[in-house]
Amino acid sequence: MSKAKKIVSSKPFIMLVWVLVLVAIWEMGAANMEKTKRTPENVLPHVSQIVASVFSDKMVSNSQTATQIVWSSAEATLERAFIGFLFGTIFGFLMALLMKLSGLVEKTIFPYLMLIQMIPIIGMAPIILAITHDIGTSRIVIAAILTFYPVATNTLAGLNSVSKEKYELMYSYAASKWTIYRKVLIPSCIPYFFTGLKISAPMAITASILVDTLQGDGGLGCMLSQSLKHAMSIYVFWQIVFFSAFVGILSSVLMGVIEKRVSPHMRADRKRRKKV
Amino acid sequence: MIKRKKNIFIRFFRNPKVQPFLSVILPVALGVLVFALWQTQILHKILGTDTFTLPLPSQINRIIGDNLPKIMLNVKATVLVAVIGLAIGSFIGYLIAVLATVFPRWGAGGLSIVAAFNAIPIVALAPVMTNWTKDVSSDASVRSMVAKVLVVMIVSIATMSVNAYRGLNNLPEFSLDLMKSYAAKKRVVFFKLRLPNSVPYIFTALRVGVPSSVISAIVSEYFAEYITGVGRQIRENIVIAQYATAWTYIAVACLIGISMYCILMMFEGILLRNRK
Repeated sequence: MSKAKKIVSSKPFIMLVWVLVLVAIWEMGAANMEKTKRTPENVLPHVSQIVASVFSDKMVSNSQTATQIVWSSAEATLERAFIGFLFGTIFGFLMALLMKLSGLVEKTIFPYLMLIQMIPIIGMAPIILAITHDIGTSRIVIAAILTFYPVATNTLAGLNSVSKEKYELMYSYAASKWTIYRKVLIPSCIPYFFTGLKISAPMAITASILVDTLQGDGGLGCMLSQSLKHAMSIYVFWQIVFFSAFVGILSSVLMGVIEKRVSPHMRADRKRRKKV
Repeated sequence: MIKRKKNIFIRFFRNPKVQPFLSVILPVALGVLVFALWQTQILHKILGTDTFTLPLPSQINRIIGDNLPKIMLNVKATVLVAVIGLAIGSFIGYLIAVLATVFPRWGAGGLSIVAAFNAIPIVALAPVMTNWTKDVSSDASVRSMVAKVLVVMIVSIATMSVNAYRGLNNLPEFSLDLMKSYAAKKRVVFFKLRLPNSVPYIFTALRVGVPSSVISAIVSEYFAEYITGVGRQIRENIVIAQYATAWTYIAVACLIGISMYCILMMFEGILLRNRK
């Protein structure tokens, strides 16, 4: 295969083409809107207009440009989402371990883990706000709950996927329970654990943004609804939409990158490749 | 091996005859315990709240009884959005998976773009869809319905296409070779091998898709123009500080999620009867 052909058939190139196709469709729609609508930027602005608004230094509120608003509110939202995500991850992992350690705990809690998926936690956001009285705390709590169950169920599936032969081998070594967990169970549940993280990272961000919309305390969601009500430039809205989409995708990709760094078998693979 | 005699409790819990009973009794016991703590207001003390923000189960039950016709109206709106969105989205998602299977080189790249849609927060999608559907109909109830269905659809497309693609391509070992040895045409391979193979994967996708379609429907109601649906009622009642009514709608939302999941499980049980 020639070099040019290799590039054309590579995955990043194909994805790039698809992205360009999507942008082209968007632009076509935008051009159409421009002709028919009085305020096309409310419905479907040109991509170039959105990009321009990112770099423009026109003040949209008292002292901030659109980009500054997005950044400062993103800080508040993402920080809480991250703390909640961290708590949820730790708690979910420990819960999975506990369920593995004790069959009784697993039997008691597992049906509820299934059930909790059916409950629209995001719908409960206002209630949790009413209980905690603090928007920051409720962001953390909701992000933690949403992170908790994908991590717990996936990790448990990983712990249960260990084959019988491995247990038998460890048994023949007279390995202690602690050693079995450290050397066999926890390493083998890592890929499953990260599957859970990849699902829950965007969910934590979604939850955090949604909680923002409930109370005017800064944050992406708050600015989103402000901008929709035309309290400030509509481009703030478009920037937040694209920003949150981007951060959501990025968070999932980031988990994949961390997985490659952390997981034992992939680390071993890398070492082997270095030696060769 | 010398067996240490275990005490009677451990022997009782490890007894294989007792196990199936335990897996029913323990979760039920936990549920009863939580409800008992809730009804006796001990839970309120733990969470540091009062019966105003966290009403008693008996109170919620009474409100459901009192407002049944109004609740059913909202349930209908939400379920309709969730089911229509899920159905259209799953259908399109499956079609995308088929296209990706037929044109593997371009399709697989496109599929990763579709999968990335999964990571986009619903909060960002819902207001955009509301904006785009302003011209669909002059009736606010119709156009916000269309907007909500579109949101649910996009979420379902991502889940279904990724899973269906797996089902169409993770074929049993050697089955493709067998088909080749029959000199089977591509079309025959598709209908006799790939299509049946993808059926369990469709259900895997739906298991994720059903709860997420309900949740997306609820969230998109927050941003819709026309005030209807369970999610919107949760929010509207919070705004006017009617926490008891809001809790009622949360309970109803949970019931919707659980009953839709149960219906799905029934279908799966009937359709995949011969596979287990």
